[in-house]
Amino acid sequence: MTNAVAGLGLAPDAAMVTFPIEMFLPGSDISPVQTRKREFYDGLTAWRSAFAADGAGEAPMIRVEGASVEDAFARANNLMLANRWGDGLPLWPPTRQRVDWILGGTAQPRRRPLGTFPPRGGVTTIESCAIALAMAGGRPEYLPVLVAAIEAFLDPESGSAQLQAASGSAFPVVIVNGPIGAAIRLNAGFGCLGPDPQRPAGASIGRALRLLQQNLGGALPGIGTMANYGGLRYTNVVFAEDEANLPAGWAPHGTERHGFAAGTSSISLAFANGATNIRRRGAKKETPEEDALQGMYRMADFMRTPNMPGLAGYEHGTPGVLMLPGVVAQTMAGLGWTKASIREFLWEHSRISAEHLRRAGCPAWIEIDASKVVRESIDLDPWPITASPDNFIIVVAGGGHPTNSYWLQGYSPGVVGRAIELPAAFDRLLADAERDLGPR
Amino acid sequence: MVTLEFHDPSGAIEVKQAHAPRVRALAGKRIGFVSNEQWQAYRMLPLLKTLIETDFPGIEVLPIDAFPQGNAVIGSEETAALVKASGVDAVIIGNAA
Repeated sequence: MTNAVAGLGLAPDAAMVTFPIEMFLPGSDISPVQTRKREFYDGLTAWRSAFAADGAGEAPMIRVEGASVEDAFARANNLMLANRWGDGLPLWPPTRQRVDWILGGTAQPRRRPLGTFPPRGGVTTIESCAIALAMAGGRPEYLPVLVAAIEAFLDPESGSAQLQAASGSAFPVVIVNGPIGAAIRLNAGFGCLGPDPQRPAGASIGRALRLLQQNLGGALPGIGTMANYGGLRYTNVVFAEDEANLPAGWAPHGTERHGFAAGTSSISLAFANGATNIRRRGAKKETPEEDALQGMYRMADFMRTPNMPGLAGYEHGTPGVLMLPGVVAQTMAGLGWTKASIREFLWEHSRISAEHLRRAGCPAWIEIDASKVVRESIDLDPWPITASPDNFIIVVAGGGHPTNSYWLQGYSPGVVGRAIELPAAFDRLLADAERDLGPR
Repeated sequence: MVTLEFHDPSGAIEVKQAHAPRVRALAGKRIGFVSNEQWQAYRMLPLLKTLIETDFPGIEVLPIDAFPQGNAVIGSEETAALVKASGVDAVIIGNAA
Protein backbone atom coordinates (compact mmCIF):
# COMPACT_ATOMS: atom_id res chain seq x y z
CA MET A 1 0.00 0.00 0.00
CA THR A 2 1.31 3.39 -0.96
CA ASN A 3 2.44 5.55 1.98
CA ALA A 4 2.12 2.66 4.39
CA VAL A 5 5.24 3.66 6.32
CA ALA A 6 5.43 7.43 5.87
CA GLY A 7 3.49 8.28 9.00
CA LEU A 8 6.21 6.65 11.05
CA GLY A 9 8.71 9.28 9.91
CA LEU A 10 10.04 7.17 7.05
CA ALA A 11 9.87 8.22 3.41
CA PRO A 12 6.46 7.57 1.80
CA ASP A 13 7.84 4.76 -0.33
CA ALA A 14 9.19 1.35 0.59
CA ALA A 15 10.60 -1.76 -1.04
CA MET A 16 7.41 -3.64 -1.81
CA VAL A 17 6.39 -6.40 -4.18
CA THR A 18 2.70 -6.05 -4.92
CA PHE A 19 0.31 -8.59 -6.43
CA PRO A 20 -3.38 -8.55 -7.43
CA ILE A 21 -5.74 -9.23 -4.53
CA GLU A 22 -6.72 -12.63 -5.93
CA MET A 23 -3.38 -14.05 -4.88
CA PHE A 24 -4.16 -13.31 -1.23
CA LEU A 25 -7.37 -15.34 -1.17
CA PRO A 26 -7.75 -18.92 0.11
CA GLY A 27 -6.79 -21.52 -2.49
CA SER A 28 -5.08 -18.98 -4.75
CA ASP A 29 -2.35 -19.60 -7.30
CA ILE A 30 0.81 -18.32 -5.64
CA SER A 31 3.18 -19.18 -8.50
CA PRO A 32 3.72 -15.43 -9.22
CA VAL A 33 5.92 -15.41 -6.12
CA GLN A 34 8.30 -17.62 -8.10
CA THR A 35 8.03 -15.82 -11.44
CA ARG A 36 8.67 -12.45 -9.77
CA LYS A 37 11.23 -13.61 -7.22
CA ARG A 38 13.85 -11.17 -8.60
CA GLU A 39 11.73 -8.28 -7.33
CA PHE A 40 12.09 -9.62 -3.80
CA TYR A 41 15.82 -10.00 -4.23
CA ASP A 42 16.10 -6.45 -5.65
CA GLY A 43 14.11 -5.14 -2.72
CA LEU A 44 16.72 -6.55 -0.36
CA THR A 45 19.74 -5.40 -2.37
CA ALA A 46 19.19 -2.70 -4.99
CA TRP A 47 16.11 -0.68 -3.96
CA ARG A 48 16.58 3.00 -3.06
CA SER A 49 14.05 5.49 -1.71
CA ALA A 50 13.11 8.22 -4.17
CA PHE A 51 12.78 10.72 -1.34
CA ALA A 52 15.52 12.91 0.05
CA ALA A 53 16.29 12.58 3.74
CA ASP A 54 14.45 15.74 4.67
CA GLY A 55 11.33 14.90 2.67
CA ALA A 56 9.15 17.19 0.64
CA GLY A 57 9.25 20.87 1.50
CA GLU A 58 6.32 23.19 1.83
CA ALA A 59 4.39 23.45 -1.41
CA PRO A 60 4.20 26.79 -3.23
CA MET A 61 0.93 28.61 -3.90
CA ILE A 62 -0.93 27.41 -6.99
CA ARG A 63 -2.15 29.77 -9.72
CA VAL A 64 -4.87 29.20 -12.27
CA GLU A 65 -6.16 31.66 -14.85
CA GLY A 66 -9.52 31.77 -16.53
CA ALA A 67 -11.41 33.94 -18.96
CA SER A 68 -13.97 34.69 -16.25
CA VAL A 69 -14.56 34.05 -12.56
CA GLU A 70 -16.58 30.98 -13.47
CA ASP A 71 -13.87 29.71 -15.80
CA ALA A 72 -11.13 30.23 -13.20
CA PHE A 73 -13.27 28.50 -10.56
CA ALA A 74 -13.86 25.55 -12.87
CA ARG A 75 -10.17 25.30 -13.71
CA ALA A 76 -9.24 25.39 -10.03
CA ASN A 77 -11.70 22.58 -9.30
CA ASN A 78 -10.45 20.53 -12.23
CA LEU A 79 -6.87 20.99 -11.05
CA MET A 80 -7.74 19.89 -7.51
CA LEU A 81 -9.45 16.76 -8.79
CA ALA A 82 -6.54 16.00 -11.15
CA ASN A 83 -4.19 16.25 -8.17
CA ARG A 84 -6.50 13.96 -6.15
CA TRP A 85 -7.30 16.64 -3.59
CA GLY A 86 -11.06 16.66 -4.04
CA ASP A 87 -14.08 14.54 -3.18
CA GLY A 88 -16.04 15.02 -6.41
CA LEU A 89 -18.22 17.84 -5.08
CA PRO A 90 -17.40 21.49 -5.85
CA LEU A 91 -14.59 22.87 -3.72
CA TRP A 92 -13.93 26.41 -2.66
CA PRO A 93 -10.33 27.16 -3.77
CA PRO A 94 -8.39 27.87 -0.55
CA THR A 95 -7.14 31.32 -1.50
CA ARG A 96 -4.91 33.24 0.86
CA GLN A 97 -7.77 35.63 1.62
CA ARG A 98 -10.24 32.87 2.45
CA VAL A 99 -7.79 30.87 4.55
CA ASP A 100 -6.80 34.00 6.49
CA TRP A 101 -10.49 34.67 7.10
CA ILE A 102 -10.98 31.13 8.44
CA LEU A 103 -7.93 31.56 10.67
CA GLY A 104 -9.87 34.27 12.49
CA GLY A 105 -11.50 31.34 14.29
CA THR A 106 -8.44 30.70 16.42
CA ALA A 107 -5.91 32.60 18.47
CA GLN A 108 -3.31 29.92 17.87
CA PRO A 109 -0.35 30.47 15.53
CA ARG A 110 -1.10 29.25 12.01
CA ARG A 111 2.10 27.17 11.95
CA ARG A 112 1.37 25.39 15.24
CA PRO A 113 1.93 21.68 14.55
CA LEU A 114 -0.84 19.28 15.49
CA GLY A 115 0.96 16.11 14.40
CA THR A 116 1.44 14.04 11.28
CA PHE A 117 -1.54 12.56 9.53
CA PRO A 118 -1.39 8.78 9.05
CA PRO A 119 -0.63 6.87 6.93
CA ARG A 120 1.01 9.35 4.52
CA GLY A 121 2.49 11.46 7.27
CA GLY A 122 1.45 14.91 6.09
CA VAL A 123 2.53 17.58 8.58
CA THR A 124 -0.69 18.91 10.10
CA THR A 125 -0.95 22.47 11.38
CA ILE A 126 -3.63 24.97 12.31
CA GLU A 127 -3.23 26.34 8.78
CA SER A 128 -3.80 22.86 7.28
CA CYS A 129 -7.13 22.78 9.10
CA ALA A 130 -8.04 26.25 7.82
CA ILE A 131 -7.17 25.25 4.25
CA ALA A 132 -9.37 22.16 4.44
CA LEU A 133 -12.20 24.11 6.04
CA ALA A 134 -11.98 26.77 3.32
CA MET A 135 -12.19 24.06 0.64
CA ALA A 136 -15.18 22.52 2.42
CA GLY A 137 -17.15 25.76 2.42
CA GLY A 138 -16.62 26.39 6.11
CA ARG A 139 -16.58 29.47 8.27
CA PRO A 140 -14.15 30.74 10.94
CA GLU A 141 -16.44 29.90 13.85
CA TYR A 142 -16.25 26.22 12.83
CA LEU A 143 -12.45 26.12 13.12
CA PRO A 144 -12.24 25.52 16.91
CA VAL A 145 -14.34 22.36 16.55
CA LEU A 146 -12.27 21.10 13.63
CA VAL A 147 -8.98 21.73 15.43
CA ALA A 148 -10.20 19.86 18.52
CA ALA A 149 -11.42 17.00 16.33
CA ILE A 150 -8.06 16.80 14.54
CA GLU A 151 -6.21 16.78 17.86
CA ALA A 152 -8.36 13.86 18.96
CA PHE A 153 -8.03 12.11 15.60
CA LEU A 154 -4.23 12.31 15.73
CA ASP A 155 -4.10 11.04 19.31
CA PRO A 156 -2.73 7.47 19.04
CA GLU A 157 -5.44 6.36 21.44
CA SER A 158 -8.05 6.97 18.72
CA GLY A 159 -6.63 4.17 16.56
CA SER A 160 -6.75 6.39 13.48
CA ALA A 161 -3.39 5.12 12.21
CA GLN A 162 -4.96 1.72 11.61
CA LEU A 163 -8.42 2.86 10.62
CA GLN A 164 -7.22 5.31 7.98
CA ALA A 165 -5.90 2.46 5.88
CA ALA A 166 -8.10 -0.48 6.92
CA SER A 167 -10.67 -2.16 4.69
CA GLY A 168 -13.47 -1.89 7.24
CA SER A 169 -14.71 1.54 6.11
CA ALA A 170 -14.49 3.27 9.46
CA PHE A 171 -15.61 6.88 9.58
CA PRO A 172 -15.06 9.37 12.40
CA VAL A 173 -17.99 10.37 14.59
CA VAL A 174 -17.57 13.75 16.29
CA ILE A 175 -19.99 14.44 19.14
CA VAL A 176 -20.03 18.06 20.29
CA ASN A 177 -21.11 19.11 23.78
CA GLY A 178 -21.51 22.51 25.36
CA PRO A 179 -22.82 25.85 24.14
CA ILE A 180 -20.68 25.97 20.99
CA GLY A 181 -22.99 23.54 19.23
CA ALA A 182 -26.00 25.84 19.06
CA ALA A 183 -23.75 28.90 18.70
CA ILE A 184 -22.23 27.75 15.40
CA ARG A 185 -25.46 26.19 14.06
CA LEU A 186 -24.52 22.57 14.56
CA ASN A 187 -27.50 20.28 14.28
CA ALA A 188 -28.69 18.26 17.29
CA GLY A 189 -32.26 17.66 16.16
CA PHE A 190 -34.18 16.64 13.03
CA GLY A 191 -31.83 15.34 10.34
CA CYS A 192 -28.74 15.91 12.45
CA LEU A 193 -26.67 13.43 10.44
CA GLY A 194 -27.61 14.88 7.07
CA PRO A 195 -27.65 18.12 5.10
CA ASP A 196 -29.43 21.09 6.65
CA PRO A 197 -29.12 24.66 5.33
CA GLN A 198 -30.41 25.95 8.66
CA ARG A 199 -27.62 24.24 10.57
CA PRO A 200 -24.81 23.72 8.07
CA ALA A 201 -21.79 23.50 10.38
CA GLY A 202 -21.58 19.70 10.68
CA ALA A 203 -21.34 19.16 6.93
CA SER A 204 -18.46 21.60 6.49
CA ILE A 205 -16.53 20.45 9.56
CA GLY A 206 -16.93 16.79 8.69
CA ARG A 207 -16.06 17.38 5.04
CA ALA A 208 -12.93 19.29 6.07
CA LEU A 209 -11.95 16.40 8.33
CA ARG A 210 -12.40 14.02 5.42
CA LEU A 211 -10.30 16.24 3.11
CA LEU A 212 -7.51 16.24 5.71
CA GLN A 213 -7.76 12.45 5.99
CA GLN A 214 -7.28 12.26 2.25
CA ASN A 215 -4.96 15.14 1.35
CA LEU A 216 -2.58 15.02 4.32
CA GLY A 217 -3.26 11.44 5.38
CA GLY A 218 -3.17 9.94 1.90
CA ALA A 219 -6.40 7.98 2.43
CA LEU A 220 -7.24 7.75 -1.25
CA PRO A 221 -9.61 4.90 -2.13
CA GLY A 222 -7.71 1.83 -3.27
CA ILE A 223 -4.34 3.54 -2.75
CA GLY A 224 -4.01 4.80 0.79
CA THR A 225 -7.20 3.30 2.19
CA MET A 226 -8.50 -0.16 1.39
CA ALA A 227 -12.00 0.68 2.65
CA ASN A 228 -14.29 -1.57 0.63
CA TYR A 229 -17.25 0.84 0.72
CA GLY A 230 -16.28 4.09 2.40
CA GLY A 231 -19.80 4.93 3.52
CA LEU A 232 -20.61 8.28 5.19
CA ARG A 233 -17.22 9.62 4.17
CA TYR A 234 -18.31 12.72 2.26
CA THR A 235 -18.98 14.55 5.49
CA ASN A 236 -18.23 11.95 8.18
CA VAL A 237 -20.55 12.40 11.20
CA VAL A 238 -20.47 15.66 13.18
CA PHE A 239 -23.41 16.60 15.41
CA ALA A 240 -24.18 18.14 18.78
CA GLU A 241 -25.84 16.41 21.72
CA ASP A 242 -29.31 17.86 22.28
CA GLU A 243 -28.49 19.12 25.74
CA ALA A 244 -31.61 21.27 25.89
CA ASN A 245 -33.63 18.07 25.97
CA LEU A 246 -31.41 16.04 28.31
CA PRO A 247 -33.63 14.74 31.12
CA ALA A 248 -32.85 15.97 34.61
CA GLY A 249 -30.07 13.87 36.07
CA TRP A 250 -28.75 12.70 32.69
CA ALA A 251 -25.21 14.04 32.20
CA PRO A 252 -23.97 15.24 28.82
CA HIS A 253 -21.81 12.73 26.94
CA GLY A 254 -18.65 14.85 27.30
CA THR A 255 -19.10 14.85 31.07
CA GLU A 256 -19.90 11.15 31.36
CA ARG A 257 -17.16 9.82 29.11
CA HIS A 258 -14.41 12.39 29.45
CA GLY A 259 -15.09 14.21 32.69
CA PHE A 260 -15.57 17.68 31.23
CA ALA A 261 -17.56 19.97 33.46
CA ALA A 262 -21.16 20.44 32.30
CA GLY A 263 -21.30 23.52 30.10
CA THR A 264 -17.81 22.95 28.70
CA SER A 265 -17.59 23.08 24.93
CA SER A 266 -15.90 19.86 23.93
CA ILE A 267 -15.71 17.17 21.30
CA SER A 268 -15.64 13.42 21.59
CA LEU A 269 -14.28 11.38 18.71
CA ALA A 270 -15.06 7.75 18.03
CA PHE A 271 -15.13 5.66 14.85
CA ALA A 272 -18.05 3.75 13.38
CA ASN A 273 -18.48 1.46 10.41
CA GLY A 274 -22.25 1.28 10.17
CA ALA A 275 -25.37 3.39 10.58
CA THR A 276 -28.77 1.89 11.28
CA ASN A 277 -32.16 3.41 11.90
CA ILE A 278 -34.16 1.47 14.51
CA ARG A 279 -37.95 1.80 14.67
CA ARG A 280 -38.22 1.56 18.42
CA ARG A 281 -41.78 2.75 19.02
CA GLY A 282 -44.70 0.38 19.56
CA ALA A 283 -47.55 0.13 17.05
CA LYS A 284 -50.70 -0.54 19.08
CA LYS A 285 -51.90 -0.02 22.66
CA GLU A 286 -48.68 -0.44 24.59
CA THR A 287 -48.38 1.17 27.97
CA PRO A 288 -45.48 3.63 28.33
CA GLU A 289 -43.56 0.94 30.23
CA GLU A 290 -44.15 -1.66 27.49
CA ASP A 291 -43.27 0.82 24.77
CA ALA A 292 -39.96 1.68 26.43
CA LEU A 293 -39.03 -1.93 27.25
CA GLN A 294 -39.93 -3.32 23.82
CA GLY A 295 -37.92 -0.54 22.23
CA MET A 296 -34.95 -1.41 24.41
CA TYR A 297 -35.13 -5.08 23.40
CA ARG A 298 -35.39 -4.10 19.75
CA MET A 299 -32.31 -1.89 20.02
CA ALA A 300 -30.35 -4.64 21.76
CA ASP A 301 -31.38 -7.03 18.98
CA PHE A 302 -29.81 -4.68 16.41
CA MET A 303 -26.60 -4.66 18.43
CA ARG A 304 -26.35 -8.44 18.76
CA THR A 305 -24.14 -8.83 15.70
CA PRO A 306 -20.72 -10.46 15.12
CA ASN A 307 -19.00 -7.14 14.40
CA MET A 308 -15.44 -8.43 14.36
CA PRO A 309 -13.86 -5.04 13.52
CA GLY A 310 -15.47 -3.90 16.76
CA LEU A 311 -13.01 -6.09 18.67
CA ALA A 312 -10.54 -3.23 18.21
CA GLY A 313 -12.55 -1.30 20.77
CA TYR A 314 -13.69 -4.19 22.93
CA GLU A 315 -11.63 -3.19 25.96
CA HIS A 316 -11.23 0.59 25.84
CA GLY A 317 -13.29 1.83 22.91
CA THR A 318 -16.97 1.51 22.15
CA PRO A 319 -19.30 -0.98 20.49
CA GLY A 320 -21.16 2.00 19.07
CA VAL A 321 -23.08 5.20 19.55
CA LEU A 322 -26.80 4.97 20.36
CA MET A 323 -28.71 8.17 19.57
CA LEU A 324 -32.01 8.68 21.37
CA PRO A 325 -34.33 11.57 20.52
CA GLY A 326 -34.96 13.98 23.38
CA VAL A 327 -38.63 13.09 23.59
CA VAL A 328 -37.76 9.41 24.04
CA ALA A 329 -35.10 10.20 26.62
CA GLN A 330 -37.60 12.31 28.57
CA THR A 331 -40.19 9.55 28.55
CA MET A 332 -37.70 6.89 29.58
CA ALA A 333 -36.28 9.08 32.32
CA GLY A 334 -39.83 9.52 33.60
CA LEU A 335 -40.04 5.73 33.89
CA GLY A 336 -36.80 5.58 35.86
CA TRP A 337 -34.32 4.83 33.10
CA THR A 338 -30.90 6.49 33.21
CA LYS A 339 -28.05 6.44 30.72
CA ALA A 340 -26.32 3.95 33.02
CA SER A 341 -29.29 1.59 33.28
CA ILE A 342 -29.78 1.73 29.51
CA ARG A 343 -26.14 0.71 29.05
CA GLU A 344 -26.52 -2.18 31.49
CA PHE A 345 -29.63 -3.40 29.68
CA LEU A 346 -28.05 -3.20 26.24
CA TRP A 347 -24.88 -4.94 27.42
CA GLU A 348 -26.84 -7.79 28.94
CA HIS A 349 -29.29 -8.26 26.08
CA SER A 350 -26.92 -7.88 23.13
CA ARG A 351 -24.83 -10.89 24.17
CA ILE A 352 -24.28 -13.55 21.49
CA SER A 353 -24.44 -17.27 22.23
CA ALA A 354 -21.23 -19.25 21.84
CA GLU A 355 -22.99 -21.49 19.33
CA HIS A 356 -23.79 -18.53 17.09
CA LEU A 357 -20.25 -17.24 17.41
CA ARG A 358 -18.83 -20.62 16.44
CA ARG A 359 -21.00 -21.12 13.35
CA ALA A 360 -19.92 -17.68 12.10
CA GLY A 361 -16.22 -18.39 12.61
CA CYS A 362 -15.81 -15.61 15.15
CA PRO A 363 -13.61 -17.46 17.68
CA ALA A 364 -10.67 -17.34 15.23
CA TRP A 365 -10.82 -13.53 15.22
CA ILE A 366 -11.20 -13.37 18.98
CA GLU A 367 -8.27 -15.74 19.56
CA ILE A 368 -5.78 -13.73 17.46
CA ASP A 369 -6.67 -10.36 18.96
CA ALA A 370 -3.91 -8.30 20.55
CA SER A 371 -5.94 -7.71 23.71
CA LYS A 372 -5.81 -10.31 26.49
CA VAL A 373 -9.26 -9.17 27.59
CA VAL A 374 -10.62 -9.96 24.13
CA ARG A 375 -8.89 -13.34 23.93
CA GLU A 376 -10.17 -14.38 27.33
CA SER A 377 -13.70 -13.27 26.46
CA ILE A 378 -14.01 -16.40 24.31
CA ASP A 379 -14.87 -18.29 27.50
CA LEU A 380 -17.99 -16.21 28.08
CA ASP A 381 -21.31 -17.68 26.97
CA PRO A 382 -23.28 -15.75 25.97
CA TRP A 383 -20.48 -13.50 24.74
CA PRO A 384 -20.88 -9.77 25.49
CA ILE A 385 -20.20 -7.54 22.46
CA THR A 386 -18.01 -5.27 24.61
CA ALA A 387 -16.01 -5.72 27.79
CA SER A 388 -18.05 -3.31 29.90
CA PRO A 389 -21.47 -1.63 29.79
CA ASP A 390 -19.60 1.66 30.27
CA ASN A 391 -18.23 1.36 26.75
CA PHE A 392 -21.62 2.01 25.15
CA ILE A 393 -22.04 5.64 24.09
CA ILE A 394 -25.55 6.97 24.70
CA VAL A 395 -26.31 10.45 23.39
CA VAL A 396 -29.53 12.41 23.24
CA ALA A 397 -29.85 13.66 19.67
CA GLY A 398 -32.25 13.53 16.77
CA GLY A 399 -35.58 15.07 15.90
CA GLY A 400 -38.31 15.51 18.49
CA HIS A 401 -40.29 12.47 17.39
CA PRO A 402 -40.58 9.19 19.29
CA THR A 403 -40.52 6.58 16.53
CA ASN A 404 -36.84 6.01 15.82
CA SER A 405 -33.45 5.75 17.40
CA TYR A 406 -30.14 5.41 15.59
CA TRP A 407 -27.19 3.07 16.04
CA LEU A 408 -23.73 3.93 14.78
CA GLN A 409 -21.96 0.56 14.98
CA GLY A 410 -18.49 0.99 16.44
CA TYR A 411 -15.09 0.26 14.96
CA SER A 412 -13.34 2.35 17.55
CA PRO A 413 -10.20 1.35 19.46
CA GLY A 414 -10.61 4.42 21.66
CA VAL A 415 -12.93 7.33 22.33
CA VAL A 416 -10.96 10.55 22.63
CA GLY A 417 -12.20 13.83 24.08
CA ARG A 418 -10.86 17.35 23.73
CA ALA A 419 -11.96 20.68 25.16
CA ILE A 420 -12.63 23.30 22.50
CA GLU A 421 -10.54 26.45 22.69
CA LEU A 422 -12.25 29.64 21.56
CA PRO A 423 -10.60 32.90 20.47
CA ALA A 424 -11.34 36.09 22.41
CA ALA A 425 -13.21 37.50 19.41
CA PHE A 426 -15.56 34.53 19.08
CA ASP A 427 -18.70 36.58 19.74
CA ARG A 428 -17.78 38.83 16.81
CA LEU A 429 -17.55 35.76 14.56
CA LEU A 430 -21.04 34.71 15.67
CA ALA A 431 -22.30 38.22 14.91
CA ASP A 432 -20.74 37.97 11.44
CA ALA A 433 -22.55 34.66 10.92
CA GLU A 434 -25.80 36.31 11.98
CA ARG A 435 -25.17 39.02 9.40
CA ASP A 436 -24.23 36.55 6.64
CA LEU A 437 -26.70 33.73 7.25
CA GLY A 438 -29.58 35.41 9.03
CA PRO A 439 -30.83 34.79 12.55
CA ARG A 440 -30.39 31.37 14.10
CA MET B 1 -8.39 37.32 -17.43
CA VAL B 2 -9.09 36.23 -13.84
CA THR B 3 -6.31 34.75 -11.70
CA LEU B 4 -6.94 32.51 -8.69
CA GLU B 5 -4.05 31.78 -6.37
CA PHE B 6 -4.55 29.20 -3.65
CA HIS B 7 -2.79 26.94 -1.17
CA ASP B 8 -1.65 23.43 -2.06
CA PRO B 9 -3.73 21.37 0.42
CA SER B 10 -1.39 18.38 0.52
CA GLY B 11 1.01 19.93 3.03
CA ALA B 12 4.59 18.90 3.72
CA ILE B 13 6.11 15.58 4.71
CA GLU B 14 8.98 15.22 7.15
CA VAL B 15 11.31 12.29 6.72
CA LYS B 16 12.90 11.79 10.13
CA GLN B 17 14.41 8.38 9.58
CA ALA B 18 16.04 6.83 6.51
CA HIS B 19 15.08 3.36 5.37
CA ALA B 20 17.58 0.67 6.32
CA PRO B 21 20.50 0.35 3.91
CA ARG B 22 20.27 -2.57 1.52
CA VAL B 23 22.70 -5.46 1.61
CA ARG B 24 25.15 -5.48 -1.31
CA ALA B 25 24.46 -9.12 -2.19
CA LEU B 26 22.47 -11.97 -0.68
CA ALA B 27 25.13 -14.66 -0.83
CA GLY B 28 26.29 -15.68 2.64
CA LYS B 29 23.75 -13.47 4.41
CA ARG B 30 21.26 -14.23 7.19
CA ILE B 31 17.65 -13.45 6.29
CA GLY B 32 14.59 -13.39 8.53
CA PHE B 33 10.84 -13.30 7.99
CA VAL B 34 8.29 -11.41 10.04
CA SER B 35 4.79 -12.66 9.32
CA ASN B 36 1.36 -11.45 10.30
CA GLU B 37 -0.03 -14.88 9.35
CA GLN B 38 -2.64 -13.20 7.21
CA TRP B 39 -3.43 -13.20 3.49
CA GLN B 40 -1.91 -16.58 2.61
CA ALA B 41 1.39 -15.72 4.29
CA TYR B 42 1.50 -19.29 5.56
CA ARG B 43 1.88 -20.44 1.93
CA MET B 44 3.68 -17.57 0.24
CA LEU B 45 6.46 -16.93 2.72
CA PRO B 46 7.63 -20.59 2.91
CA LEU B 47 7.70 -20.65 -0.90
CA LEU B 48 9.84 -17.53 -0.95
CA LYS B 49 12.14 -19.02 1.70
CA THR B 50 12.67 -22.09 -0.50
CA LEU B 51 13.35 -19.96 -3.58
CA ILE B 52 15.96 -17.87 -1.78
CA GLU B 53 17.68 -20.93 -0.37
CA THR B 54 17.77 -22.51 -3.83
CA ASP B 55 19.06 -19.44 -5.65
CA PHE B 56 21.66 -18.44 -3.06
CA PRO B 57 23.55 -21.49 -1.79
CA GLY B 58 25.10 -20.87 1.59
CA ILE B 59 22.52 -18.29 2.59
CA GLU B 60 20.84 -18.75 5.96
CA VAL B 61 17.09 -18.10 6.00
CA LEU B 62 15.52 -18.37 9.44
CA PRO B 63 12.26 -20.32 9.87
CA ILE B 64 9.10 -18.36 9.15
CA ASP B 65 8.09 -18.68 12.81
CA ALA B 66 11.48 -17.62 14.21
CA PHE B 67 9.85 -14.42 15.44
CA PRO B 68 6.41 -13.79 16.96
CA GLN B 69 3.69 -13.86 14.33
CA GLY B 70 0.39 -12.02 13.93
CA ASN B 71 -0.72 -8.43 13.43
CA ALA B 72 -1.02 -7.99 17.16
CA VAL B 73 2.68 -8.49 17.84
CA ILE B 74 4.82 -7.91 14.76
CA GLY B 75 4.87 -4.14 15.21
CA SER B 76 5.94 -4.27 18.85
CA GLU B 77 9.25 -3.11 20.30
CA GLU B 78 9.70 -6.61 21.72
CA THR B 79 9.56 -8.19 18.27
CA ALA B 80 11.92 -5.54 16.89
CA ALA B 81 14.38 -6.32 19.67
CA LEU B 82 14.21 -10.05 18.90
CA VAL B 83 14.86 -9.37 15.23
CA LYS B 84 17.87 -7.20 16.07
CA ALA B 85 19.23 -9.73 18.53
CA SER B 86 19.00 -12.51 15.93
CA GLY B 87 21.75 -10.88 13.89
CA VAL B 88 19.86 -11.01 10.59
CA ASP B 89 21.18 -8.88 7.72
CA ALA B 90 17.73 -8.28 6.23
CA VAL B 91 14.09 -8.98 6.94
CA ILE B 92 11.11 -9.69 4.68
CA ILE B 93 7.72 -8.67 6.12
CA GLY B 94 4.42 -10.03 4.87
CA ASN B 95 1.54 -10.06 4.03
CA ALA B 96 -0.65 -7.03 3.46
CA ALA B 97 -3.72 -6.76 1.28
